[in-house]
Amino acid sequence: MHKGRLVFRAVKLGLGLVASCAAVMPGFAHEALLTAQPSDSLSFVDLDSMKETARIAVTGKPVGIALSPDKATAYITAPDSKELIEVDAVSRKVTRRLFLGGGPVGIAAHPTRPEVYVADWYTHKIIIVDTVTFKTIGDVKVGDSPSGLAVTPDGTLLLSADRDSDAVSIVDVASRKVLASVPVGKRPFGITIDAKGVRAYTANVKSDDATVIDIAARKVVGSVKTGRRPYAVALAGGRGFVTDQYGGTVTVFDLGTLAVIKRIDTCDHAEGIEADKDEKNVYVSCWGENALLRIDPDKMVVTGKAAVADGPRAFGKFLR
Amino acid sequence: MLKRLVIAATIVGLAPLSLSGAAWAHGPSRQKVTETIEINAPVDKVWKAVGNFQDMSWLPIVAKTEGKGGNDVNATRVLTLKSGGTVEEQLDKYSAEDHVYAYEITKVDVKVLPVNDYSSHITVEADGDNKSTVTWWGGFYRGYMLNDPPPDLTDEVALKAVTDLYKAGLDGLKKKVEGGG
Repeated sequence: MHKGRLVFRAVKLGLGLVASCAAVMPGFAHEALLTAQPSDSLSFVDLDSMKETARIAVTGKPVGIALSPDKATAYITAPDSKELIEVDAVSRKVTRRLFLGGGPVGIAAHPTRPEVYVADWYTHKIIIVDTVTFKTIGDVKVGDSPSGLAVTPDGTLLLSADRDSDAVSIVDVASRKVLASVPVGKRPFGITIDAKGVRAYTANVKSDDATVIDIAARKVVGSVKTGRRPYAVALAGGRGFVTDQYGGTVTVFDLGTLAVIKRIDTCDHAEGIEADKDEKNVYVSCWGENALLRIDPDKMVVTGKAAVADGPRAFGKFLR
Repeated sequence: MLKRLVIAATIVGLAPLSLSGAAWAHGPSRQKVTETIEINAPVDKVWKAVGNFQDMSWLPIVAKTEGKGGNDVNATRVLTLKSGGTVEEQLDKYSAEDHVYAYEITKVDVKVLPVNDYSSHITVEADGDNKSTVTWWGGFYRGYMLNDPPPDLTDEVALKAVTDLYKAGLDGLKKKVEGGG
C-alpha cells in the first residue's frame, strides 16, 4: 500500500470532504492510470518504483482519461462501447457506466464544477456530464471530430481540438457557447493548457507540428516542427514535450523561443504524455511497446520504464 | 480525407443517435500485429536482405520497388504488387546499427490492404552467432473509419490481412536468406 494513499484515506475518512484533499495534500498519490485499449484494461503504475501495481478490466476499448479535481476518480472514454466509465482510483473499481453513443474519445474534467466533458468524434459535439448524477446535462456543437479537450485552470474556458476542422474551439463554460474557432495545423489531436491558462498547445497529426495559441487573444502565436505524427503535448520546466507516434520520439522545445532543443528516442507510438505537478518528471505512454516511460525534463533523457497492459494510450490527464 | 468527411457528415445526418448500444457496431480502435521468425543466419546477413528500404524483393507479393531518398528518414517507396495494386510508403526511422527501420503507408486502396493509418517496423536481433530473430510489427485501423463497418472492412478483416502478410513475408525472407546461404 502506498504510504501517501494511507494518509489520504485517513484524511478522507476524518473530514469526509474529498474535494479538500487535493488542495491540502497535493500529490497524495504518485500514480499513473493507463487506458490500455486493445486489452480492455486499466494499468496502475506506482511512479516512485516505476512498477505496475494493479490492472483492472475496463471493457469497451478505453482511450481517453480525465481525473476529478481531487484525483480520486477517473473518467474514461470507451469508443467501442460508446460509454463514459467512472473508476474509483483509490479502490480501483469500475463504479458507474454511462452510454453516450457516437464516438467518445477526448475527455476533460472541470477544476471545480462537478462536470466532465466528452468529445464526440462522430457527432461533432462536446457532451457535458454531471459527475454527481452521472447523467448527460447538455452538449455544445463544435468543429468536426473533436478530439483532445482541456479546461483552463480558472475553469472559465473549455478548449476543443477539432481534428477534421483543423481548428480549436474556445467554449465559454458558463454559457456553453463557442466564443471562437482558432485555425491551427492540420488535424490537431491532443491539446494542453499551461498552468497559468495563458497558452494552449495542440499536436497536429497531419502537419507534424505543434501549434501555440494565445487563449485570451484567440490567436496563434507560433508553431513547432515535431517528429512524425505527433499525438499530445506536456509542459515542464519551461519546455514543451510532444509525443511523436510514428517517429518514436519525444520532441522537446523551448516554450519561450519555440525552438526545438532535442528529439528524445522513446518508443513506438509514444502517445499520452503528462508532467508531474512539480514538473520534475514527464511520463510517456507507449502504445507500441506496452510501457510507461519516465523522462527527466531537464536532462532530456529516459530515466525509467514500467511494463504495463497491452496498448496503453492514456489520452488526457492520467497522473494522480 | 475529404471523401471520408462527406461520408461522415451524411451518416451523422441520417443515423438516429438514440439507438441502444447493442444496435451499434463497433467504432474503430487501433489494432496491433506482431509476427516473428527465427532465421538460421547471422544478424548482418539477415539485415542485408531486409534492411534496405528501397528493396522489398524479399516480400513474395512484391513485383517492384521504386523509391527515392535511400535509407534516410522521409525516404519514399512505391511497391507494385504482383496483383497490380500499389502501396506508397515513407521511412520514419532507420538504424543500421540497431537493425531496425520504421515506416508508414501514405497511400493504399483498401481493396489492396484493408487498413488505414498503418505504421510498422521491422527489427532483426542476433540470437547467437548464427541465428537471428526478425520481428515485423504493425499498428493500424481497419479499412472503414466510421461506425458500422461493412463485412469486408472490419477489425477482424484488417487483422487477418496484416497477419497473413507478415507471416508470408517472414516465411519468404527465411527461405531467401537460408536458401541463398
